[in-house]
Amino acid sequence: MRGPLAIFKRDFKKFLSNPFIIMMTLFMPIMYLIVFGSAMGGTISHIPVGVVQEVPPYNDTPLFTSAAYQLNHISQGSENNAEKQLDVIIYADEAQAKQDLENGKISAVIVFPSSVSNDNAVRLYVDSSDSITPPLVEEAVTQVMLGLGAKNPIIVDKIYGDITYLQFFGVGVIMMAIFTSTMFGGGIALIKDRENGIHEGYLVTPVKRSSIVMGIISSGTVRAFIAGFTIFWIDLLITGIALQSFQDFLLVLLVILIACMGVTSLVVSFASRFSSQQEYSSVIAFFNLMLFMTSGAFYPVIGMPGWLRWITVINPEYYGIHALRSIILRNQGLNVIGIDLIALLIFSSVMIILGIVTFRRTLE
Amino acid sequence: MELFERITRTSPDSPGDTDAPQGASGSTGGARPAEQNGWDNADDSAIIRIDHLSKVFASKTKTVIAVNDVSFEVKRGEIFGLLGANGAGKSTLIRILTTLLSPTSGQAFVNNYDITEDPEKIREIIGVCAQNYTSDSELTAYDNLEFYGKLENVPDSILPDRIWELLKMAGLADRAYMPVGTFSGGMKRKLEIVRAFIHRPLILFLDEPTIGLDPEARREVWQQIMMLNREHTTIILTTHYMDEAEKLCGRIAFVERGKLIALDTLENLRKLIPAGDLIEIGIDHMDAPVEENLRSVPLVNAVSVVEHKVTISATNGSQAIPSILAIFDKFQIPISSLSIRSPSLEDIFIYLTGKGLDNGNGEGNDTPGPGRRR
Repeated sequence: MRGPLAIFKRDFKKFLSNPFIIMMTLFMPIMYLIVFGSAMGGTISHIPVGVVQEVPPYNDTPLFTSAAYQLNHISQGSENNAEKQLDVIIYADEAQAKQDLENGKISAVIVFPSSVSNDNAVRLYVDSSDSITPPLVEEAVTQVMLGLGAKNPIIVDKIYGDITYLQFFGVGVIMMAIFTSTMFGGGIALIKDRENGIHEGYLVTPVKRSSIVMGIISSGTVRAFIAGFTIFWIDLLITGIALQSFQDFLLVLLVILIACMGVTSLVVSFASRFSSQQEYSSVIAFFNLMLFMTSGAFYPVIGMPGWLRWITVINPEYYGIHALRSIILRNQGLNVIGIDLIALLIFSSVMIILGIVTFRRTLE
Repeated sequence: MELFERITRTSPDSPGDTDAPQGASGSTGGARPAEQNGWDNADDSAIIRIDHLSKVFASKTKTVIAVNDVSFEVKRGEIFGLLGANGAGKSTLIRILTTLLSPTSGQAFVNNYDITEDPEKIREIIGVCAQNYTSDSELTAYDNLEFYGKLENVPDSILPDRIWELLKMAGLADRAYMPVGTFSGGMKRKLEIVRAFIHRPLILFLDEPTIGLDPEARREVWQQIMMLNREHTTIILTTHYMDEAEKLCGRIAFVERGKLIALDTLENLRKLIPAGDLIEIGIDHMDAPVEENLRSVPLVNAVSVVEHKVTISATNGSQAIPSILAIFDKFQIPISSLSIRSPSLEDIFIYLTGKGLDNGNGEGNDTPGPGRRR
């Protein structure tokens, strides 16, 4: 029994000597519960939808007025403080509403016919690149029409065709590939060098702190790019999505590259403060969870509680996934993804500077 | 290109503050063997000046003073030995001088650059071989050297030739394209050493360069060090091998628990021991009267008994031997062995610190040696 006891004692001593790891092991499941639970189980509210009155006639019909009013006042649950399900925006021009739908400003367009009749259908255009919100909108419209006693049929037009959850989620996996390859590539390599004393070797050479950080970030970016690019192809093969044009393909490459830069510089600037692989791994695993969960890869960001959406604002994966979905699933161009690219570039620059400033040039 | 030229050729003059702390001077090196030319190269200007340098490592449980108010100078062109037991503070001192650690207090100048103000300048002129392996074991020997050559700004035009030159010097030319991880300890160490001077630095720091090497490999490393010194490289060497310091170093500094306890040439250090020769006698047992009698022999200065060995220091040892033997004869104590020699560095170290290099680790033994000095 001496052997097992000795090993038990040794392991336990090591465990107790590192309170940081103990804290992280307890912290992780709790965070999982809170973040995963909130990100996935949140009720979707405030879906932006556009409503339009078919022309002619050029003035609002009673059907349109009351339907629009009721749609805007559907609440979830019966409590007084329940959230509104839809945020109704009234459009005068059908073309303008469709334009906004295509650019992702609203999630659906509901076009009401001039009168209540069996012949005139309510036309519902939905952003089918998101497989979760369209059924909710459709249900809401059905409910309102029923309440008004209008028997008009509802025609649903999925503007991006049938997009499965697999296709929706697949784009998120590209981002995940980038993050994991960076986590193990740039970050761990940096700390391994530190642990193995390789740093001690080259910190006495004239190489600058900025050169070290830039070198590591660029090699990490290329590695992450290879990973992201490979997963992109695999994703296309598995989910059966076809890109619409060569320009889309180039845009995808651009987004993957910039996203790689952003994520790599985040990880490297983080890793440059750690000296133990174990500590780094537990922290980065936590980051991986937070960033991936709040990126909208699994579930539309619109369904997340407000506090979680704040994380989304500073999450590079969110912008990466949004841009990739815009190109791959919705065939949108720079006018839509431009803001994502700018956000990613700002994020990368801040992280590179942070990495250079915080990189420890001494062994202390 | 420009940078490289500057490193290799210039040796800016520093203001000549030539007083070494222990009052050593160049003329005392005359008696040294010709091959120990480290001293002959040295001119009297200081290339490294250390002024009341201290380094304290403080943690929650313990505060360790690794370097305690140390001041000395290293002269341009010499091979300077830093000796001490494990944990004496040698490596910390080297890390401070090579800008890896910042001192807690005090100042140090390397080639007139302040270590805290101009670390970049210092990194350009030094080469460092750290105590632990710092080569990347996943890369090949050639790749490792190429990597460092680039970091050290060796021009691309001469880098490949320089790498092969170094690989041949280290006897690793046939293993150039093998991962360093497959090398034996000695091969790794040799690679580490040649890597340290790939850019022909003005000053070379070698922290325990021959640790773990076989005797032949050690001699090869010594050859390299002496050759580099002939090319006017100043070398700072830490070691706890006395023979290494005796063979290579012009001047030797003893470090003990973070403090400098002596600094001088080997010849002058020898003079610190009052009794010239050491007579070692192997015995079965020892009686107290014998020890008394031995001490009364006129030439004998000190007697110490450790287990089965009597160590007697005596002025003019060979003349004292007959009377010493007579005493053993008189008390009928059989002698199993007898040797006589002049004091080695180790003897000096033991004399100064009251303990040997191998067992002293800065802990426990609190009794200072007889001649402990600052």
